[in-house]
Amino acid sequence: MNNLDVISLNIWQILISLANLAILFFLFKRFLFKPVKEILAKRESEIQAEYDKAEKATDEANEIKASWEEKMKTADDKADEIIKNAVEKADRRSEVMLYESREKAESIIRKAKAEAERDKRDAQETIKQEIVGVSAAISEKIIGREINMDDHKDLIDSFIDNMEEA
Amino acid sequence: MLEIAIGIILSGCALGAGIAMLAGIGPGIGEGNAVASACEAIGRQPEAKGEVTSTMILGCALAETTGLYALVIAFLLIFLAPGRFVNILLEAVGK
Amino acid sequence: MTILLLILTILPLVCSIAIKVAFIPASEGIAISGAHIFFTIDLPFGGLPITESQVNSWAVLLSLFFLCLFLTHGMKTKNIGVRQIIAEFIVEKVEGLVRSSMGEMFMGFGPFIAAIMGLSAMTSLQSLLGLYPATSDLNVVSGWAILVFILITYYKMKAGPLYYLKGFTEPIPVMTPMNIIGEIATPVSMALRHYGNVISGFVISILIGTALSGASSLIFGWLPGALGGYLLRIGLPAIFSIYFDLFSGCLQAFIFAMLTMNYVSSAFPADEYFRRKALKKARLEAKNIK
Repeated sequence: MNNLDVISLNIWQILISLANLAILFFLFKRFLFKPVKEILAKRESEIQAEYDKAEKATDEANEIKASWEEKMKTADDKADEIIKNAVEKADRRSEVMLYESREKAESIIRKAKAEAERDKRDAQETIKQEIVGVSAAISEKIIGREINMDDHKDLIDSFIDNMEEA
Repeated sequence: MLEIAIGIILSGCALGAGIAMLAGIGPGIGEGNAVASACEAIGRQPEAKGEVTSTMILGCALAETTGLYALVIAFLLIFLAPGRFVNILLEAVGK
Repeated sequence: MTILLLILTILPLVCSIAIKVAFIPASEGIAISGAHIFFTIDLPFGGLPITESQVNSWAVLLSLFFLCLFLTHGMKTKNIGVRQIIAEFIVEKVEGLVRSSMGEMFMGFGPFIAAIMGLSAMTSLQSLLGLYPATSDLNVVSGWAILVFILITYYKMKAGPLYYLKGFTEPIPVMTPMNIIGEIATPVSMALRHYGNVISGFVISILIGTALSGASSLIFGWLPGALGGYLLRIGLPAIFSIYFDLFSGCLQAFIFAMLTMNYVSSAFPADEYFRRKALKKARLEAKNIK
């Protein structure tokens, strides 16, 4: 009989298989679970470190963002002020300019009016002279004799004045 | 005479092994019940499928034990008992 | 290095196949028998036979050891390879199983459960290689069951030996013999369950093989040489071995591990243990105050 029976019990064989299982337990513990757990813990700590770093970076970024926002806000205010000042200045200047231009226009108008008045007077004077001249000539012709200009000057003048008044 | 006695021993062992395996009926019915209930449970609660299945397998394994006892008895009757009984008979006869 | 470890993982199994081919004569016809005995060492209580099942389980042990080294060597925290993914998957799965069925207190059982599963599944799956599955030897599974029984008893004794002994007379003192039998039935049923499942598959495989060879020589007997006797045995037994070896082997490994976890965690008298611990702590504090 070179084979075991189908059902047989032997205390040494039982002990050996018990020891096999115990040895495999220690092998698994030492060579499979320990390294894997170590690597998992290491990875976890690394990930934690990364998270910490990321959190720190986010905080910093937030800080910078807040300061920039602050700056932006003040800049906005400043810009508003500048614009307001500029607008005011421009308003003032435009008023002044308007006033000045109006003044200028008025003066021009006045000058023009004065000129026109003078022209009119000049024209009246010339016309008066001409009329005097012309009427003297006509009268000469009609009367047939020379009229002394100086003699009749007063007469003509009064006539013309009457005409003017009329 | 001795041949007849040994023949009776062998036939008795074989019959005994066969009868012992009648115990296979019990685990069969039991496991059938367990699986039927598990199917019902999964039908009622499909999301608990994994848990129900593993519990069912464990329960089936426990229910199977009696059948396996019968199997072991049958193996003993087939492989070990004939030799022992024949030896006992031969000793009793004095050969 | 990786290749070397992979070769070392496969080498023990190849060696055990070589030993089987070299030392064990091929059997003819129906031969349902135990493991082959290579030689016997003289020891009290019947001597120690070195058998095929022991050689196979040692081969599995070595193979699993080198597999561990193969999976875990050169692990990194970033850019992990397939081997590390497998190793982490195994560890996480086993730890999750232990956590869900035993609780946080028994997390040290992870390697033990992994060892039971690996050894049991691998020795059962050895029959796919044509080897004698070591789990169909009652001695092997008895050893494991006895180790589990030792663990159960150890955890029952956690709340003191007297409390453990008192547990036998629990409902009424008359029940003591029944309780002792129930205690012993645990390892016996565990061992017999595993052994019976595997050996029934083994026996059925042998019967199917024999039947197929008989049918083959009946149908194809007219073919020349020994071909007729082997024609039906090519491929067909593999279909049956999918259930009897692959499925049943893995299932039995899982069941053995699950039962171990359930028995051990239910053996631990948590309430009594923590009550005693709190009591001891309180007494110590009272002494310190004095």
